[in-house]
Amino acid sequence: MITHDVVVVGGGLAGLMAATTAAGSVDVAVLSKLYPTRSHSGAAQGGFNAALSEDDSVESHIFDTVKGSDYLGDQDAIEVLCSEGPEVIKELEWAGVPWSRTEDGRVAQRSLGGAGFPRACFAADLSGHVVLHTLYERALKLGVKTYPEWYLVELLVENGRISGLFVYDLASGRTEIIRCKAVILATGGYGRAFAKTTNAFANTGDGMTIAYRAGARLADMEFVQFHPTTLYGTNVLVSEAARGEGGYLFNNRGERFMDRYAPRKMELAPRDVVSRAIFNEIKEGRGVEGKYVNLDLTHLGEAKIKERLPQVRDLACRYTGIDPVEKPIPIEPAQHYSMGGIRTDLNCETNIKGLLAAGEAANVSVHGANRLGGNSLLETVVFGRRAGRRVVEMVSKETAWPELPGESLERAEENWKNNFGSNSPLDPRDNIFKIRREMNRTMTEYVGVFRTESELKQAVDILAGLKERYSTLKVSRKEEPFNYELIEHIEVGYLLDLSEIIALAALRRTESRGAHYRTDFPQRNDQDWLNHTIIWRGEKGPEFGKEPVSITKYQPVERGY
Amino acid sequence: MLINLSIDRFDPNCDRGAYKQQVKVEAKENETVLDALIKAWQQDPTISFRRSCRSAICGSCAMEINGEPRLACQTLLKDVVDSNGNLSLGPMFGFRRLKDLVVDLQPFFDSLKDIIPWVLTKNNHDGRMTPEDAAKIENPATCILCGLCDSELGDGREIGPAAIVKNHRLALDARDMLGLVRLQLNRKYPEEMAAFRENLKSFCPKKINLPEV
Ligand SMILES: Cc1cc2nc3c(=O)[nH]c(=O)nc-3n(C[C@H](O)[C@H](O)[C@H](O)COP(=O)(O)OP(=O)(O)OC[C@H]3O[C@@H](n4cnc5c(N)ncnc54)[C@H](O)[C@@H]3O)c2cc1C
Ligand code: SF4
Ligand code: FES
Repeated sequence: MITHDVVVVGGGLAGLMAATTAAGSVDVAVLSKLYPTRSHSGAAQGGFNAALSEDDSVESHIFDTVKGSDYLGDQDAIEVLCSEGPEVIKELEWAGVPWSRTEDGRVAQRSLGGAGFPRACFAADLSGHVVLHTLYERALKLGVKTYPEWYLVELLVENGRISGLFVYDLASGRTEIIRCKAVILATGGYGRAFAKTTNAFANTGDGMTIAYRAGARLADMEFVQFHPTTLYGTNVLVSEAARGEGGYLFNNRGERFMDRYAPRKMELAPRDVVSRAIFNEIKEGRGVEGKYVNLDLTHLGEAKIKERLPQVRDLACRYTGIDPVEKPIPIEPAQHYSMGGIRTDLNCETNIKGLLAAGEAANVSVHGANRLGGNSLLETVVFGRRAGRRVVEMVSKETAWPELPGESLERAEENWKNNFGSNSPLDPRDNIFKIRREMNRTMTEYVGVFRTESELKQAVDILAGLKERYSTLKVSRKEEPFNYELIEHIEVGYLLDLSEIIALAALRRTESRGAHYRTDFPQRNDQDWLNHTIIWRGEKGPEFGKEPVSITKYQPVERGY
Repeated sequence: MLINLSIDRFDPNCDRGAYKQQVKVEAKENETVLDALIKAWQQDPTISFRRSCRSAICGSCAMEINGEPRLACQTLLKDVVDSNGNLSLGPMFGFRRLKDLVVDLQPFFDSLKDIIPWVLTKNNHDGRMTPEDAAKIENPATCILCGLCDSELGDGREIGPAAIVKNHRLALDARDMLGLVRLQLNRKYPEEMAAFRENLKSFCPKKINLPEV
């Protein structure tokens, strides 16, 4: 059996930040289903928010975030996020991040949506990529042990405390048990539950489902962010930086329609507002070809596009055949980010002893009902670092090893065996890809930007049917190396659990707040719903409760942009 | 259009050697090779290949497409299929084949350790860097560690190509204590370096273009 004090699951920004913070003080390893540099953090383009400039202030960053969250963000957590931001950016500067620079040599910053100040630190439109690679370098420097292409299947919990991990090693094709004192889950989001998403194939919400099945609480899963500008068709992201640098949105009449929805912030209103505006334009017949709207960058000029948005240009040219220097590009909203996740406290701890979570997989609730551009990358490094620090404290205090995995291991092995066998689906033509497609379509059509009771109920029914069909499917080939059929099978299982939870939580919340918009309840309702949705696994499925929002300074007022 | 994919298959548990499997898929010419491969996989889920971002930033899908080193998600079908819709896919040449299109990348990632693969920040660094200095490292810092250069140009003896790229990125970093001294590690004569730069430029999916220093 392999042992480590701490295992960080996930090699993205949150995971690498946690591991490199803890390294040296405790025996920490990173386990990741992808080589760390392949993590989806590398696709982030826009930047990391931090109030660095003398004219900006931490307080104003806090306020923008609280307001952006539609008052559902926990203000104590937001204070931590914004006040530790500048320090972490400095730490990254020293670690060697190749930022873009201002004339006087400081880290360059740009405007992203919902911010009162240009405060997103960037490196052209490769911000996530360069920081991911720098943190990977730091992990090499500190000699952090990594298990690349090892797949977390289940958490082993004995008597309410983490005791180890049940994992699948893709290269050998075998399962392994890792014994440890603490686990940090940094497994990212679940975008692949949706048909239209900016997320990578690997973003299947594994950590959230695994934690939920092991007894951890999830929170605010109904809040799903839809990014307004993704390439029409492929949904590859066009960063908010494109609007931050001055891009305009036009409908089929050539109107800059955002003046109808957010007259002051225009294109730089928060994402929930812009996404709804776009769908509304399309619905009312002002979409181009009835399907999309145009993002126009032509007036920025080739030089600026080349310098600031090289990746956006490259992606647009390749995947739409249109060069944004010459012509507007067709865009549509798509799923982008999970505000919900594994509920944690300010130290990233969950309700399971020894289990921590950070990054997009977690919900410490800095984003509330809607995340601002640039705040997620910041969250990964701020809370990744906090998780790393916390785990060092925990391990040095609690020196005794937890119980050896016993019952939980038996269950995990049983579940594992259940994946295999000869296929006897309800419908002989059924297969895992069909189930995934139907789930994806259901989520995008019925649990999307606009929601309503009847459609959400329909989604819940469809998903229940899919789960039943899923349970009769088996994987034919067993312990083989690089068995991606098996991975697909497991991931669809994780996504079905999450999709059901998202749909049920959305059905429950009879108000509109941030990214959650109910056409049958279009108003925000602070009296009944100024609280977090808490979700845990019950006997028969997910159960739901509420938890108050931490409000320190800013009382909820109406959000206008 | 109908694409005739010819995919290298190899399962170490039962095959003595690799063979080609033909799979037909329907795809649009503006779709990528990765899109076509995923459709093939949905017909035969036993095919193993790596992918994640589908936007040329994670480096997972590096392979030989009609014998050329490319990223599957960055390559449009119309640019590579012949008039009969034929397209052939194989694993990167330069690495040990593990299964189908999946190769052993551990030696590749380990090769970075042949240099000192992190910035050794000067003690008196004040947090600033001129935009001109920043511009110098921008291009080499876009390397996504896909492995294609090591597959194509690596000779297994010296510092590997991707490690050389990283070495440049670090040597040109104004914060770095070692700076240009690092380049001695490359152990390449100027004319070899020049040839290397040109070769790399010709296929690197991120158009890494090392400056002459
Ligand atoms: C295209 C795009 C652009 C973005 N741009 C911005 C931006 O400009 N600014 C901003 O603030 N935010 C941005 N975001 C959001 C932000 O990038 C992400 O929220 C953030 O990077 C998530 O980081 P993470 O470390 O939590 O997860 P990820 O980077 O997704 O990493 C997850 C890790 O977990 C591992 N993993 C997952 N499941 C398992 C398993 N079962 N077993 C083992 N390992 C597993 C994966 O291998 C991976 O290493 C963007 C998001 C997208 C999709
Ligand atoms: S230099 Fe180019 S080919 Fe080599 S690993 Fe980097 S991106 Fe890939
Ligand atoms: S899938 Fe990420 S580079 Fe192709």
